[in-house]
Amino acid sequence: MANGFTLRPSVEALEKTPGGLDALRDAYGKMQALTDNRGWTYWAGIHGFPQFLCWHHGRVGSGSLLPYNLFLPWHRAYLHYWEHTARDQNSKMVLPWWDWTAAGSHTTGIPKSFTVKTVDGKKNSLASGPRPAMPGVPAGPTKRAPGSPAALPTAAAVNALMDLGNFVDLDVQLEDIHDNVHGWCGGDMGQVARAAFDPIFWSHHCMIDRIWYLWQLKNGINNIPDDYKDKPLAPFNLRVRDVLDINRLGYEYGHASSIVVTKT
Amino acid sequence: MAKKSAKSTKVEPAAGGKAPKKYVSPKISIEPLDAHVSRADLIFDGLDHSGPSFEARVFLNNDGANAETPTTAENGYAGSFHIFGHGGCYGDDITHCQIRGPRRPYDPRPGHPLTPARKVLIATDALRLARAKGGEITVTIVPVVYDPSPKADYSDVLKLDSISVESYV
Repeated sequence: MANGFTLRPSVEALEKTPGGLDALRDAYGKMQALTDNRGWTYWAGIHGFPQFLCWHHGRVGSGSLLPYNLFLPWHRAYLHYWEHTARDQNSKMVLPWWDWTAAGSHTTGIPKSFTVKTVDGKKNSLASGPRPAMPGVPAGPTKRAPGSPAALPTAAAVNALMDLGNFVDLDVQLEDIHDNVHGWCGGDMGQVARAAFDPIFWSHHCMIDRIWYLWQLKNGINNIPDDYKDKPLAPFNLRVRDVLDINRLGYEYGHASSIVVTKT
Repeated sequence: MAKKSAKSTKVEPAAGGKAPKKYVSPKISIEPLDAHVSRADLIFDGLDHSGPSFEARVFLNNDGANAETPTTAENGYAGSFHIFGHGGCYGDDITHCQIRGPRRPYDPRPGHPLTPARKVLIATDALRLARAKGGEITVTIVPVVYDPSPKADYSDVLKLDSISVESYV
């Protein structure tokens, strides 16, 4: 990361690279041990419990009498802040995307690197994260109850999205696929209030962000209604227009077979 | 693309127990649906997403469809939409999850997170097929909870205000 620009790889690519997941595990493990505003529960708590600031399914927001949805730009901003927060703990950390359309996912489901309990005799920080106590629910590690791997969304379903020329149309259809994967993962991932405490949440959303980026490459980086562009993405110090071009955010997406490289 | 719309009246839940109740709509006219539409959508408005996550399987002209019905065109299957649910209320009391009233002037905050959702199911082939057979459809929605807790009551997991059909020529 000579100039700070990063290439987000796939989980599959990192699994094939010796030590490829070490920095991610280290960063997540350190965040999970922190209880202050650098820590796991602080940042995961922005999405659902206790802050509930995420955008899903549309709301009537500022400057509008009708619901609109900032699902895609809000989560892009969230991932951007998350990645830098994790990188504070390990400067080599890069957020990878979980390709749930890949043949491997349709065979094994959630990647093995995110399910094995221990790595080199230590707790695997990718397998679960700490979830705080919530009304009626004691604190504990996140859990999952995944469905059949074959039921995950297909590449054909994602490819069909590329032909939708309208951002709002894309947003509705991509969010539905996203909803399906959350439900498929089950457990904490299946609830808006608890999902972000699970480490796989971040790589699932990285996949969603990548699909939006691929759509943007075909349909236009600035293809979004004009009245969306100045909407704030609270609590992040960004507006929609600030997150449209991922290169301006300092990252790019690699292919499934790529390894972590640095753009110079 | 020119857009045509046909809207149903509010749908009522069918009878059921603790398992999720399905919805069967009244008859919806699809007379305006041209045989040569490039795209036709089923639009579900006012969906509740406060409970568990679930898949909603949508069948046309198959009032008897249930969770065991094969998802095939022969059974009128038009596709599914999916709800990422909040998973219940985690506030100090139930008012936490009650949607606030009309927005006050000068209130800059986003609306309540549980603002009812809209889902759009692109169902061109299924609606074309149904139109070829007649001018009306019923829409049956079968909710299937992904990760059911054996003690929970999911009978009311599916709540919505309306279903409409939109086509593009």
